Amino acid sequence: MSAGKILVIDDDPQIRRVMRSTLTAHGYQVNDARSGEEGLEELRTSTYDLVLLDMNMPGMGGMETCRLIRSSSDIAIIMLTVNNTESQKVDALDAGADDYVTKPFSTPELLARIRATLRRLPQLPGFADLRPLAAEGLNIDLSSREVTVHGRTSHLTAREFGLLTYFLARPNKTIPHRELLQAVWGPDYGDESEYLRVFVNRLRKKLEPDPSKPLFLVTDAWAGYRFHLPQPAPQP
Amino acid sequence: MIAAPQVKEHVLDAPDRRVPVRKNVVLLLRVVASLSLIAAATFILLRVVPVNPTTAGFLYLVAILLIATKGGIVESTIASVAAMLCFNFFFLPPVGTLTIADPQNWVALFAFLATSLTASQLSARAKRRALEAEQRRGEVERLYALSRGLLLIDVSRPIAQQIVHQISLTCETSGLALYVRGTGELYASGLGDLDVDAKLRDAAVRSSVLKEEQTNLTVTPIRLGGEPIGSIALTGNALSDAALQSLVNLVAIALERANSQKAVTQAEVARQSEELKSTLLDAIAHEFKTPLTSIKAVTTDLLSGTPDPLPAHQHELISIVDESTDRLSKLVTDAIQLARIEGGTFRLNLGVHFPSSLVNGALRQMKSLIDERKIDVTVPDDLPPVRVDAGLIQVVLTHLLDNALKYSPPDNPIKIGARLGERKVIIYLADRGKGILEAERAQIFQKFYRGKNERHLQGSGMGLAIAREILRAHGEDIELTSTPGKGSEFSFGLPIAPGAIPQ
Repeated sequence: MSAGKILVIDDDPQIRRVMRSTLTAHGYQVNDARSGEEGLEELRTSTYDLVLLDMNMPGMGGMETCRLIRSSSDIAIIMLTVNNTESQKVDALDAGADDYVTKPFSTPELLARIRATLRRLPQLPGFADLRPLAAEGLNIDLSSREVTVHGRTSHLTAREFGLLTYFLARPNKTIPHRELLQAVWGPDYGDESEYLRVFVNRLRKKLEPDPSKPLFLVTDAWAGYRFHLPQPAPQP
Repeated sequence: MIAAPQVKEHVLDAPDRRVPVRKNVVLLLRVVASLSLIAAATFILLRVVPVNPTTAGFLYLVAILLIATKGGIVESTIASVAAMLCFNFFFLPPVGTLTIADPQNWVALFAFLATSLTASQLSARAKRRALEAEQRRGEVERLYALSRGLLLIDVSRPIAQQIVHQISLTCETSGLALYVRGTGELYASGLGDLDVDAKLRDAAVRSSVLKEEQTNLTVTPIRLGGEPIGSIALTGNALSDAALQSLVNLVAIALERANSQKAVTQAEVARQSEELKSTLLDAIAHEFKTPLTSIKAVTTDLLSGTPDPLPAHQHELISIVDESTDRLSKLVTDAIQLARIEGGTFRLNLGVHFPSSLVNGALRQMKSLIDERKIDVTVPDDLPPVRVDAGLIQVVLTHLLDNALKYSPPDNPIKIGARLGERKVIIYLADRGKGILEAERAQIFQKFYRGKNERHLQGSGMGLAIAREILRAHGEDIELTSTPGKGSEFSFGLPIAPGAIPQ
């Protein structure tokens, strides 16, 4: 059985070749597309577990492709970027990517990122005890990974869901950035506060009635984030 | 510089010397007409409808009033005297002489003269007022037309010429010159041989008005907010002082408007060129990094030993390719970073960050290089956050770290730390290498400089130059203390973030 099905979207033929060969050798099923448009078409016809998406492509471009994929799917997306600036990374995450890797990258590093992104969410401590949550117009359905705020339903990506369940298991407690990053992204992470900023914002957009004035996902300045529950979660 | 007066056709060829001649003829004709009117009145009063002296006096007054309303003060005064003489000669007894018998008639005669003179004066004054009002109205209209014309000026072309053109279109000046102090532009039109260059410059510098009677020249400074920004010279006196001042104010506004438009255009051009440079650098980076990416992906995969480890010899060869790829990749990164920084195409993306996360981020980026080295990190957790571009400060740290790794023996530890300074967090990086000679200390921050005894080491010689430029962009600088034989310490300050702003 393959470790997962990956679509590589990159305009450079050599990179597509290397990726196909390397990822196949590591047990993945690989397909590739030469442009954002081609990639989107491919995603419409087949199912994939993960997209490796080049940021800088002629035509539609990686950022726009990422946005379009994300608008209809919660498939895992890793963006490959040449530019190492923080703003570019934040833009990539904002566009809906789960992670990014800076070119040139080492294959073991890329494989680690792919594994971390594809990893089925571990049974986080307290995960089993979580019940569907309903408070102040917010409704979180853990089995279908859906949140409903005042009748507006959004689907969560795996990473968003992981982050949210970690919060839900520790309501009303300030969780430091590092702890969140290592628990949700993996032990290799810890200083990428931009990930948290972007993902917390993404969660806020989906579950806060007014994302600019968060009621649930509150920032505790310099300390971390806290999931504020107006009332204790109902116990069975 | 005086541009060729191309706008000559618009300057009215009002010949100053011919005007008085024509004026005199007109005046003479008016006097003759007035006298004829008095003569006609006398004839009618004597021959057609004979009247008594009182009635005659009143009818003369009516005639004089008529003359005064239509004509000027000269003809009405002459007519008054003529009428008085006729009145005396033909109507006051003894008739037919200029002598007067009855003293009462003397009084009547002088009352008549006084009345007629006063009437003509009043009438003439009223006329003059009306004329002046008409002139003012005309000036206001012309100034309005000028202000509209000035609004249509094209700032990309020489401005003085266009303003002079607009003024000569709307105001009937015989000669005109404009000097713009900011650009040194000078444009004259219709001034003939009159040399106004020096006078214009002088007026603009001293901010004083100059009037020359014999050439009928007025040179006025153009001020904006009290500051002279140019001067204007006019010949002829088509404009009143008030109108001239308004015109000068309009020109001042037009010049200022043109200036600010030009500034906006220049800023826009600079921004576009910056954007182009930035796009170009991005494209170059992409083109270089793409093949490096394939190479690196291959070498690292082969070296990872999964699924199958390489034989020792191949492993060694691939390691060489891998290391060379890293080196090439770093060279490209450095060169592009330097180009970006020197070309001024980078903007600080300021954010609030903890010193510890900046240092840890840099260490993480250098992980592969520092594996076997001992690095002491002393960054207290209670240091306040700083307001910096995190990405760029990490670039600074990686360059300094790279430098320390290269220039100190592998078994000597490298110290990285941070401490609280005055309104700053000081970050320092110390190695126990050979130290840097006094003579070399200034040079090491120069581009492409390599230590005299370290030419065999790999590197681009760009790292420290980049680090210093980045810190300078933050308003900080890098400091170096070094003891030859004992080691070097590089340190720099980072501004503490104002207040604890939540992320």
